[in-house]
Amino acid sequence: MRRQPLRIGLLFSSTGPYSVVARSMLNGALLALAEHNASHPDCELEPVVVNPGGETGQYAVLATELLKSGIRHVVGCYTSSSRKEVIPAFEKHDALLWYPSHYEGFETSSQVIYTGAAPNQHILPLVEHMVGEGRRRAFCVGSNYIWAWENNRIMREAILSHEGQIVAERYLPVGEIDLARVVDEIIATRPGFIFNTLIGTSAYQFFRDLRAACTSRGIDQVSAFPVASCSLSEPELEEIGPDAVDGHLSSSVYFATVETPENRRFLSAYAQAFPAGPTVSADAEASYIAMKLLGRALVAAGTDAIETVKAAAATIELDAPQGPVLIDPDTMHAFLTPRIGRSTAEARFDVVKAASAPVRPDPYLVQSMPRFAAPARATNLRLVR
Amino acid sequence: MTEPRVLQNFSSFVGHLVASDLRAADSLKATLERLGASLVVVPVVDGRATLDVPALRDDRDLLFVDADLGQPLELGEIERPPQVPVIGLVGVEAPSRLKTLIQIGATAFLRKPVQGAAVYSALFIGINGFLRRRQLESRLEDHERRRRGRRLVIKAILDLMQRAGIDDDQAYAILRRESMKQRLSIEDYCATVARTGRDVAFAGGATGADGRDASLNQRNQRSRP
Repeated sequence: MRRQPLRIGLLFSSTGPYSVVARSMLNGALLALAEHNASHPDCELEPVVVNPGGETGQYAVLATELLKSGIRHVVGCYTSSSRKEVIPAFEKHDALLWYPSHYEGFETSSQVIYTGAAPNQHILPLVEHMVGEGRRRAFCVGSNYIWAWENNRIMREAILSHEGQIVAERYLPVGEIDLARVVDEIIATRPGFIFNTLIGTSAYQFFRDLRAACTSRGIDQVSAFPVASCSLSEPELEEIGPDAVDGHLSSSVYFATVETPENRRFLSAYAQAFPAGPTVSADAEASYIAMKLLGRALVAAGTDAIETVKAAAATIELDAPQGPVLIDPDTMHAFLTPRIGRSTAEARFDVVKAASAPVRPDPYLVQSMPRFAAPARATNLRLVR
Repeated sequence: MTEPRVLQNFSSFVGHLVASDLRAADSLKATLERLGASLVVVPVVDGRATLDVPALRDDRDLLFVDADLGQPLELGEIERPPQVPVIGLVGVEAPSRLKTLIQIGATAFLRKPVQGAAVYSALFIGINGFLRRRQLESRLEDHERRRRGRRLVIKAILDLMQRAGIDDDQAYAILRRESMKQRLSIEDYCATVARTGRDVAFAGGATGADGRDASLNQRNQRSRP
């Protein structure tokens, strides 16, 4: 007898300030789900898609509705604030969130499997790259929430350990597009590079405004004030527009230009399934990985009971578009391959550096963070009479 | 004095769990290992922990103490709280149990049953709270010692005023300068002067209001007992 399809929640803000990336994530998850159903007709999955519209408060409401309806596995969330909003609901209903985005670390919830990059897989390789280029003075600008706060703290620790300097740290509300003041400040302070943790529309406007301000002053922005991000992806490059799209650095475990047979197959299947876009992103690949792993873990476990599925997930090695991916059973984060990309005029990334093998996740930076925090401000000695 | 630096990486710390109900050990152990730390379960015999508390090291050890055990630690004759961070495990929220945690110097707590997600915060607040409190205790002790030494500072000022014919501000300035030269607090410097009977070397010292050099140690030598 054919079994009833197993319902899987998909929790993505396909509208709102970061909808471009979130729609690519939803597409990645839906593609993996369709591929799973095609190859496992005896373990069919049925997607139940909900859209919080980018409103943090809506995430917990919709997650609770999904879980109350009997769903035990949900793939979703993009921002860390939304993930932290829904975790209590997953604890209450003993369900599992498959979180498919890079994030700032310092979390290992027993109710979450993390398939995006941990900080040792994105921000630390970025710092190494910038320091290697001789750029040690960072201007940090970000959206005012945990992703930017924590990444800037890690940036400060790492750059100070290389005898660098944080020129300034500025935060703007999510969705803010009035960026003239911060752009002027950047040009006035002349940092070695800009560390960008703005998300969504704020980020796109920032790239446009910075490029325009530099051009009007006769400054070559790419060489004078390169922008380095851990969240910039291809669909976002398209949003920035042709005048300001090139020359930006991004640290990511996946770019559409990664040369693997599985990536070629993934890109082709994605383009065929979603001709209207958005273009594939690192988080779309992480969502694809999450749904692939979930499907295979469900088949291996023979049940949707979360402890059994978690144990099964930690035994699977997936041939993902970025290369081999496996889950670390200690942290339930993924081994992933860090890369540095530079954006092109065609809204893609040239991979300028890549790790030779997947890197073990270290969400608490136990292996790389100094024992004591860096002082909030460097001590300035002043000659007194 | 600067604030103590915030400790944020707990790798190589050893947590010692003193508890009656060892269900807490599983979730604590799993989370501590993710943080690069480890857990040792301390046997509890007749309600007492078999643990040499004074031998614990503050740069490596921390204690998880189950408040439901009452006071299970051997603190020695002077009943000094452990000199390592203590994180309480709270089951029964009764004043008598919570008071025990205060007495043994707990700076953070975890509710039972222990949730892995709460452990990092408890460690962060507990260990840094301990470091901050210890620095404050050390500063207090230093201030107490210096307060006791003020008597000798007053004595040294009076002595110098009398010998050099200068006012108290000038005498204080000389003593302060000499103590700084010797990298001592002014209290310690004056205590040394009093103990050794040494003259204050005030050559080239403070200049009086009339421009007269207060350096009198050559013309106003006085033998001390």
